[in-house]
Amino acid sequence: MENSPTTSTNERLNIRINGEWREFEVGKDLQPWTTLSAFLREGLGYTGLKVSCDEGACGACTIIMDGKAVLSCMILAVEANGREILTIEGLPKDDPVIIAFAEQSEPGHGTALQCGYCTPGFVMTTRALLNENPNPTMDEIREALSGNLCRCGCYDAIAHAVTHAAEKIASLGGRS
Amino acid sequence: MTIPYKPRVKRKFIGGYQPRIDGQEKAQGKPLYADDIITERNYPGLLYAKVLRCPYPRARIISMDTSKAEALKGVKAIVTYKDPNLKQMKPTNAGWTDAVDTVSYDGMMWGKFRDRNILGDYGTWAGDEVGVAIAAESELIAEQAIKLVEVEWEVLPHVMDPIAAMKPGAPVLHPHIAPQNILPFDPVGGPDCFFLKGDTDKGFGFADVVLEMDTIHDNPTQGSLDPWCCMVQWEGEQLTVVSNSYATDQTRMHMSQMLDLPLHNIRVVSQYVGGQFGRADTGDQPFFIFTALLAKKAGRPVKFKHTRRDSFHDTRQPALYHCKVGAMKDGTITSLYFSSIGEIGAHADHSVFALKFAPAEIAEVALAHIPNLKMESFAVYTNRIPGCMMRGVGNSQFNFIFGRIIDGLAEQLGMDPIELSIKNFGHEWGITPDPSLKAVLEMGAERIGWKAKRHTPGGGDLYEGTKRRGVGFSLHPAWHAEWQEVRRGQVQARITLLPDGTVTLDAPTVETGTGSNTCNVLGCAEALSFLGIEQKDITWVSTVDTNNGMRDCVQTDSAVSFLQSEVLVLAAKELKKKLIDLGASKLEVESDQLDIVNGQFVAPGKTISVKELLMKGDLVPISAMVSRKPDDSKTGVPYIASFAEVEVDTTTGRAQVLKLVIINDCGTVMYASGAEAQQIGGQVMAIGEAMTEELIYDPIRGVPLNFNLIDYKMPTILDMPGVEPVLLEIWKGAGEYGACGIGEGTLTCTPRAVANAVYNAIGARVDEIPLTPERILQALGRI
Repeated sequence: MENSPTTSTNERLNIRINGEWREFEVGKDLQPWTTLSAFLREGLGYTGLKVSCDEGACGACTIIMDGKAVLSCMILAVEANGREILTIEGLPKDDPVIIAFAEQSEPGHGTALQCGYCTPGFVMTTRALLNENPNPTMDEIREALSGNLCRCGCYDAIAHAVTHAAEKIASLGGRS
Repeated sequence: MTIPYKPRVKRKFIGGYQPRIDGQEKAQGKPLYADDIITERNYPGLLYAKVLRCPYPRARIISMDTSKAEALKGVKAIVTYKDPNLKQMKPTNAGWTDAVDTVSYDGMMWGKFRDRNILGDYGTWAGDEVGVAIAAESELIAEQAIKLVEVEWEVLPHVMDPIAAMKPGAPVLHPHIAPQNILPFDPVGGPDCFFLKGDTDKGFGFADVVLEMDTIHDNPTQGSLDPWCCMVQWEGEQLTVVSNSYATDQTRMHMSQMLDLPLHNIRVVSQYVGGQFGRADTGDQPFFIFTALLAKKAGRPVKFKHTRRDSFHDTRQPALYHCKVGAMKDGTITSLYFSSIGEIGAHADHSVFALKFAPAEIAEVALAHIPNLKMESFAVYTNRIPGCMMRGVGNSQFNFIFGRIIDGLAEQLGMDPIELSIKNFGHEWGITPDPSLKAVLEMGAERIGWKAKRHTPGGGDLYEGTKRRGVGFSLHPAWHAEWQEVRRGQVQARITLLPDGTVTLDAPTVETGTGSNTCNVLGCAEALSFLGIEQKDITWVSTVDTNNGMRDCVQTDSAVSFLQSEVLVLAAKELKKKLIDLGASKLEVESDQLDIVNGQFVAPGKTISVKELLMKGDLVPISAMVSRKPDDSKTGVPYIASFAEVEVDTTTGRAQVLKLVIINDCGTVMYASGAEAQQIGGQVMAIGEAMTEELIYDPIRGVPLNFNLIDYKMPTILDMPGVEPVLLEIWKGAGEYGACGIGEGTLTCTPRAVANAVYNAIGARVDEIPLTPERILQALGRI
């Protein structure tokens, strides 16, 4: 966070959310203690991310900030000043990661989602991983996803969906 | 190695490997769960409720002063135990039913165990909802307000262990119900000895081998990621409830009976739930009632939501099982005796179901050929988190001793436990050996490499100097087949054909992730094959709303996928009949001269597409709503099994599961990718139960220490071994498909399979799960 512009109460802050710079007023639009997850969900209606544990243990609130997967429940909204945020609402519906999670169904692995509650967190973690490492090994995939809990237990299918997404991205010439 | 299952009957839609119908929307994060809907944006003026939680394992409120909380800016309503309407409210239970059926207050399954008062003055575990609830303009204010309530407590002695709780002189939690903390006879569960056949002592008398064993099953919790929440809003006398409870009809009945409101004045709406796993039965939870009272008092909508700490709300009942078995030299079991002490925690709720009802069901099927059989259970109160429903209710605890006694007896007899199982278990309506059981065990043995890997206990090779490997399995009868679902009553579904040939499908059930929604669309497409319809032409209605007028089929017993699909077969027939009557009048032919094939009306000399005929008509949709009671034909049940291979480091005590093979005979596979997702997915809870998940208390202060997702260890992707799912279609039940539920059973056998594999690896038995390094080292005599 060393590069982030400083902010104080009653100041304005600017956050680029899903490609659009938006200005908010501290004290009016959000409070100094408002978490980024609460602000995005309740203040702005980005309900794709979920708040399940609210203590950085489950990964359901994962978003991408300045290219990195982060837990939005562990960040204050004011800390996002000057940052670029991507929520799952900012991904196109044909994003290779979304398609791979949606379609995963080959024999032997099950589906990559069941109740769907943890899914946006897994999708965003995967998106950040593939942005950085478009061709990860299975060990790298498992390591990257180890901070996200799926109680329905779709881990194996999720890992396979990540490899399918990587293959799709490669087939598109790494353009997505 | 991936081997797709082989369907017994090849169908166009049912049984396929394909994406879920909600895969795309869920992958995009689009579905709205209760917490996403219940916001100030959707409900202007929304207030937030918090409740006082008893800070002691057992205490009574002597006095309470709420004046400071009332004075806090933003507090809008307070209800306390002193309010006349709460004082007059009837005592209740938070598990009126297992959610298979809808029940009234008088008809609740465990009517003798009404040990809860809504916001009473008496707390029986550190976390009990007591005394006061407050609604305020934000969660933070409500939380602060609760802290400002001044309470004078009478701290009472507590007991944290069921054995201690049964002893004379122990603190008694609910003396009017259980004078010695042991639940008395009840009409559903029966007496302490709830199953008796033959004479067990006599059976032990002429046995060649008699063996006794004990197990302890600790208490994991459901761990749904979607915290429980609800919103209650009054508009005049009309009450609306939005929640992620999975039983809308029962929630309506619960609120109607507790608040004395007519049913038509209550509307309950639920849709997506972020994992259910049996969370607290039907959800007859006090929080619905005090949230309604707060909303009434404030005149504004009120939201109540569990924090993660609050989500540690109920658990699988910890159970201490004792088993004695007698058998002849050839492996024929002559006598079986099971005795359990089930810790039900602070409230009885639905625990007797796990301790008596579920084992009695197992006795009826798997143990039908054992001539002398006795089962007894003692359900005991302690000042810990209440036991309630959890995926695999009662069966998991029972399987832990069942799988162990089979393994132990086989060792004593010098038999292969697979052979011993096939020889003794089945169900009285089938032939022996049971074809399903035989197929399941033989398939598991083949896939895990049983013959090559199984050795004498502790007698295998040494790996890396300190590690030993072993294999083990456990088996269980599956549940539930149709005949076990009769109590559910009518299952309803409606197919509506729209004039352009597309379809809306009302098969009301709250979507909890099980995959039954996809099964229903597949079942609907299959049943409507005469219309030449494709899946994409069918919209599944995802919101369950009691105002819709149809009964919801609750996601319990893992049975919804096939129960509703069986109804759709009948609904499609009725729809076809209506269409033929309509077509006959339009085309001026006799009904018996007309058929519909691949979307075309076909009569001698005439043909027209259904769509064309409908679009030329009055454009009124054609609906067929059918109710069907599950078929009670006694078809028995199929079998399930888990096989495990483990590696144990004998110096650190760390056990690692290397591989699991999960075999389910399904009758009919309704949706293969979904069934395999349940088989693989269930192992996360199973491995958690077997290896890491337990609730830890401070034994002196009686307060929980790990009610959070950091210290309560649910498996991550790195903790999971490879899982091989195997689907079989050997047994067949009643109806068109004759399927059986599989979702719950996928995890039932795994902890015992792992524990048996650990024994095979190291030659020392661990009595208790989770199989922590400490317990393994103790078993090895190293600490």
